[in-house]
Amino acid sequence: MIDPAKALMLFGIIAAVAALFFLPKIGLVARWKRARRGMQRVLIEDALKHIFDCEYKNIHCTTESIAGTLLIPTDQAAELLTRLAVMGLLSTGDNGVHLTADGRSYALRVIRVHRLWERYLADETSVPATEWHASAELAEHTLTAAQTEALAAQIGNPHFDPHGDPIPTTSGEIPPKVGRSLLSLHSGEFAVVTHIEDEPETVFAQLTAQGLHVGMQVMMIERNNDRVRFAANGEEIVLAPLLANNLTVAPMTEEEQRITAPLSPLTTLSVGQEAHVLSISKAMRGHQRRRLMDLGVVPGTMIRAEMTSASGDPTAYSIRGALVALRRQHAEMIYIKKD
Amino acid sequence: MKNETRQTNGTDAILSTANTLRWEIGDNIHDTLVESIYTDAQRIAARTVTVPESRPAFSFDRQLDRLITSRWFGFPLMFLMLAVVFWLTVEGANVPSAMIASLLVDTVHPWLRGAFSVLGSPWWFTGLMVDGVWLAMAWVISVMLPPMAIFFPLFTLLEDFGYLPRVAFNMDSLFRRAGAHGKQSLSMTMGFGCNAAGVVATRIIDSPRERLIAIITNNFSLCNGRWPTQILIASIFFGALVPAHLAGLATAGAVVAVAMLGIFFTLAVSWGLSNTVLKGEASAFSLELPPYRPPQLWQTLYTSLIDRTAIVLWRAIVFAAPAGAVIWLVSNIHIGELSLAEHFINNADPFGILLGLNGVILLAYIIAIPANEIVIPTVLMLTVLSAKLTGVGDGAGVMFELDDASGVADVLRAGGWTMLTGLNLMLFSLLHNPCSTTIYTIYKETKSVKWTAVATVLPVLMGLVVCFLVAQVYRLLA
Repeated sequence: MIDPAKALMLFGIIAAVAALFFLPKIGLVARWKRARRGMQRVLIEDALKHIFDCEYKNIHCTTESIAGTLLIPTDQAAELLTRLAVMGLLSTGDNGVHLTADGRSYALRVIRVHRLWERYLADETSVPATEWHASAELAEHTLTAAQTEALAAQIGNPHFDPHGDPIPTTSGEIPPKVGRSLLSLHSGEFAVVTHIEDEPETVFAQLTAQGLHVGMQVMMIERNNDRVRFAANGEEIVLAPLLANNLTVAPMTEEEQRITAPLSPLTTLSVGQEAHVLSISKAMRGHQRRRLMDLGVVPGTMIRAEMTSASGDPTAYSIRGALVALRRQHAEMIYIKKD
Repeated sequence: MKNETRQTNGTDAILSTANTLRWEIGDNIHDTLVESIYTDAQRIAARTVTVPESRPAFSFDRQLDRLITSRWFGFPLMFLMLAVVFWLTVEGANVPSAMIASLLVDTVHPWLRGAFSVLGSPWWFTGLMVDGVWLAMAWVISVMLPPMAIFFPLFTLLEDFGYLPRVAFNMDSLFRRAGAHGKQSLSMTMGFGCNAAGVVATRIIDSPRERLIAIITNNFSLCNGRWPTQILIASIFFGALVPAHLAGLATAGAVVAVAMLGIFFTLAVSWGLSNTVLKGEASAFSLELPPYRPPQLWQTLYTSLIDRTAIVLWRAIVFAAPAGAVIWLVSNIHIGELSLAEHFINNADPFGILLGLNGVILLAYIIAIPANEIVIPTVLMLTVLSAKLTGVGDGAGVMFELDDASGVADVLRAGGWTMLTGLNLMLFSLLHNPCSTTIYTIYKETKSVKWTAVATVLPVLMGLVVCFLVAQVYRLLA
């Protein structure tokens, strides 16, 4: 019989080795997967995407900006550009680099996969918003054309990704960029958020943490060089101008109602009270949103809090004659209007 | 040809226009559609449906709901209800179980043996069919049928009445923290009756991720095939630790502790799964609380006996029959001096003992995969066979049980069992692969080889690791 102390020690060693390999994020397997991202094809596709992005937004694109985005040294970025030019994907003009027709269509293919994948994650899975981009960065280099089309068909050929960016069609069409920066709003001006830039990741995470999402109504309160103060769906938010610049907004139509006071979520309804549903937050997406709408939670529906669970969390509401329990985290994203 | 080209161009133009329009409309179109459907439906309903003027101010349903979901009564009431259901099941099943066993095992089995020999069947055929196949089936029926026939109708009555959705409502908070759905509390409780039925019961969970979690973790609910094992082993090894008048209490305490450990593993594994491999699976929560209704007694009895009990029992019998044959064969086919079973037991013994178990237990859990009910009879038979005991049992390959626990204790001690073996058997009985009926059911429900494999292998691995760790720590301390 093996000595129990030795057996335990052996077990500890095996467990440690297994952890070394399989731990998420820091394990060897995870590292190996990340290392594959440095491959040549991946670099080429990322560079094309970056240059396309610059052209789309009408900003100047340099070797340095490519190096910065791709996290590679400048000389390697320069080498990469030469290579792209040799491949006929890029032409160098007087004012920087431009994509050729081939380069443009290649870039759009990659972008199509990226945005479709993000949309898929947002609507069909529970992957948190902060992980969409990183996952799409991997998927865009691995999905084949057939897989991409199957995915697009499965999720109903969507036209926008969850950040509000248009998804290029198979033939490479993409509408021109519309909207302007949040910073361009005057005090007191209303607008709707149409796009939130998902790069760099830390900035996007900060914006998401503030509860900002596409489809929100914003009203500028004041802005100066240090900070931007605005109301998003009636709730006041303060951001540094650098962050606020990552939000794109579009003017509102005349008939849309202006939100002037903070929206009250369903959770503010106490047992026995009733109210009309005003809207479901755009931050609630995919299956959960569809489920709620199927249950009849649409603007105008009368909703009444009936009871809370013995453990305090789900609350049962009567909705169109049925008694339905909703968790607090979801009820917080349904806005109501008490009469 | 020319025509066709023009047509394609036309379609392309239309598609392209559609694309442009969709970009202009934006992403709200689906919401707008649903809203307009509801607006129309509401308008039509308002014109055509008349609603009785006054809703009763004192609604019986709401009154009952307030009580059932109240902070003070909600949980005690739930525990009381479950305790009553379990008590009725255990107490009510004893007598019919004994009756079926005495009929199928004590009366029909010898009679069949006689009949086979009268008809001139060779000894090995009699052994294979009567001692192997028949006995395994008889055991599964006698242990499984009565508790299921009591438990399922009771459970279905509570469900029909509308009480169970309220349990899910009360329990949701706990399961939410584990990344699961409140309704899992129901499939988990159903698992205490039978894991295969528990897996089928997860159909009430309409969110894909949470349903998968409930399916994979259902095996951590001790099913009725395992309760007798737990009780027997606990009474032998834990009941004996304390004075005789406390033995019953110690036994019950040990069994309840194992069941609680099962619930702990259910929640812990649910949490683990929802935060790792199942993190990205689609999920949506809503829980409808139907109005209370007087249960339909006869229909409930019919559906729970036919749909649940009969189907599960039939599957179990189908799987148990070949297992009986295998059990008989491994004990009766000899290579050299020893039977296949003894060869395996001798080879597996060092590994088994390292885990605080033994070769007999490992073999019993492999050949008794079809049904947990036959694990103890198989263990007893194999112990007698491999330890060369005389005077007990009915021979190689013939499963048997003894009427008193002390007789079983004598056999097990003679087979080299210690306190540690008993403890680890109880743990391994909780943490091992689901029975083949459940595995098959999991496959039918998930339609996925991958998740079936996870649900099968994960508990065994956990069982091996837990037994191993317990054995080492026990030996260090002892």
